[in-house]
Amino acid sequence: MNSVDIRFKRQSVALVASAAAVALVTGAIFALDSFAPVLSLGVLYVFAVLPIAVVFGLAYALLVSVASMLAFNWFFLAPTHTFRLSDGENWIALAVYLVTALVVSALAARSRAREAEAERRAHEATLLAGVAGSLLESDHVQNELRGISARVAEALGVERARIELDSVRRPEPGESALELRAGERGIGRLFVDSQPDPEVAESVTTSLASLLAVALDRERLGRRAVEAEALRRSDAIKTAILRAVSHDLRSPLTAIRTATEGLESTSLELSESDRAELLATIDTETRRLDHLVANLLDLSRLELGAAEPKPELWTVETLVGQALSELGARAERVDVELAPDLGPVEVDGVQIERVLVNLIDNALKFSPDAPVDVVGEQQNGAVAVRIVDHGPGLSDGELERVFEPFEQGRVPSRGSGLGLAIAKGFAQANGARLEAESPKSGGATFVLLLPSTR
Amino acid sequence: MSTRILVVDDEPQILQALGTTLRGAGYEIETAETGEDALVKAKVRPPDGVILDLVLPGMSGVEVCRELRGWSDAAVLVLSVVGDEPEKVAALDAGADDYVTKPFGMDELLARLRAALRRAQPETEPVLRMGDLEIDFDKQAVRSRGELLQLTPHEFRLLRLFALNQGKLLTHRKILSDVWGAAYQTESHYLHVYVSQLRRKIEPDPARPRYLLTETGVGYRFVVPKS
Repeated sequence: MNSVDIRFKRQSVALVASAAAVALVTGAIFALDSFAPVLSLGVLYVFAVLPIAVVFGLAYALLVSVASMLAFNWFFLAPTHTFRLSDGENWIALAVYLVTALVVSALAARSRAREAEAERRAHEATLLAGVAGSLLESDHVQNELRGISARVAEALGVERARIELDSVRRPEPGESALELRAGERGIGRLFVDSQPDPEVAESVTTSLASLLAVALDRERLGRRAVEAEALRRSDAIKTAILRAVSHDLRSPLTAIRTATEGLESTSLELSESDRAELLATIDTETRRLDHLVANLLDLSRLELGAAEPKPELWTVETLVGQALSELGARAERVDVELAPDLGPVEVDGVQIERVLVNLIDNALKFSPDAPVDVVGEQQNGAVAVRIVDHGPGLSDGELERVFEPFEQGRVPSRGSGLGLAIAKGFAQANGARLEAESPKSGGATFVLLLPSTR
Repeated sequence: MSTRILVVDDEPQILQALGTTLRGAGYEIETAETGEDALVKAKVRPPDGVILDLVLPGMSGVEVCRELRGWSDAAVLVLSVVGDEPEKVAALDAGADDYVTKPFGMDELLARLRAALRRAQPETEPVLRMGDLEIDFDKQAVRSRGELLQLTPHEFRLLRLFALNQGKLLTHRKILSDVWGAAYQTESHYLHVYVSQLRRKIEPDPARPRYLLTETGVGYRFVVPKS
């Protein structure tokens, strides 16, 4: 239905209501005529004027006032059924009624208009608060436009509204466009399917445009900050990877080459145990290289955001067991204690296995002689797995930096400092939390909180 | 007649190292550097087993696997790299029997190859003894060190499938379709929890499984502990 139809319908309703009001009061005066002097009953027409003034405004109230006076004159004042008056005083009475009716209706219409204005402002305030809220919560203005448009449509009393940022599109047939401008700056256009009240539209579009302007600026600044941070991080990672490649890859390669040349050499006299030792060196160093390459791959996958987890239901027992078997004979020093009531966790098994392997591997490295404890328990809707070592523990500064890539921490080690960074990355990708603690009792504890389905 | 193995890899060093070692282990070796070449050679002289690198120039390892399975029942062992579980699973679903991850140890490769060459044991004996476990197929009873275990029907079917495929890798898809039916072959979501429950019944220490090993992201393997 378009706005012309709506206005026409409203007018018809107002006219019919006005006529009915006059007719009703006239009827009432007929009924009361025998009980009271008719002249004193003219005041009853106020009951026709007042509701019309409140509901339909001053114009209709005026119409009803005049119609009432005419009806009073025609039906009740001698000579009846004419508009003439035999008694000159009656003119004065009629004039007084008319003035009273006009004053009353003007007052009523004004208070009605004020009330409507207040209501409109309250609506507008609710609308703007809603818009501001959704813009603040979201990082992408574009994603919120659909929701905001729906609110705006409601506020403007139109069926459909559509915000188009930076749009200069002409409105299509049956659509009209309202400019969204914040001061001098054009934000875009608001397309509506029917013409809203121009005053309401003006105030809504002005406030909406300034809110959108602020949100767009915030989004732009945020994006710049994220880009700068990503750049800084990727620079740090590149440097660290170069260092790892040049140092951490070269040293095992050197060891392997020395060992093979030793074995091939005709000038050296090697005993059986020497040969065995050289072969063992090649074996160890090859494994070390393999481990390093796997870590570098994991890290670059995380950095590229290519580590999309594939969540499935796992028991913690399976994941821990798998990590221990991956660690082989070294895992004999690990004591596992899992609460019997642990619920299954919904995570990517491969990735969480990497997390556990790296954490247990780290713990074994830092407490070379003491056992390492792996303790699992249900904790506030999560399964907490604690990896407790009895090594030197972590200082406050180390607690902060321990998950940074290439942070060697504590005692100098043979690792590349990638394990914990990777563990943290995979944990986060799976909606798990990983934290480091250094309890007063000594050693370091890493707490992995896995999302439980219980 | 000795067992013939076709080795397919585009890296000459790996072909050479594998060739030497496998010959030393008593196998007869043929090599191919591309998938297309491998398929021709396999048609001319059908091998008993194929060792197939997944990353090949031209036709991929998975495609070779699928094509080969159309007309050959040779055991197929694929070579893959760490972290490439989806490719591994694709190859296994295309008919490969097992995989090893590069860099692999020779002992591991030979063990996997032997297991792949061995066909699934037909259910001939009514009672199967493996380590401390004793499975009575007729009575559907499982004992550990003589003590009767309470298994649900699904757990029993799971264990039977594993026991008849000792040492072999069973993919999630294979296990699900054998135990629960073909309609369930992609529902790996709950499989791990079922396996975990079975482990609690048959493993002396479920956190350090000795019988039922997880091949994370790929499937499970049932082995008989050495001692």
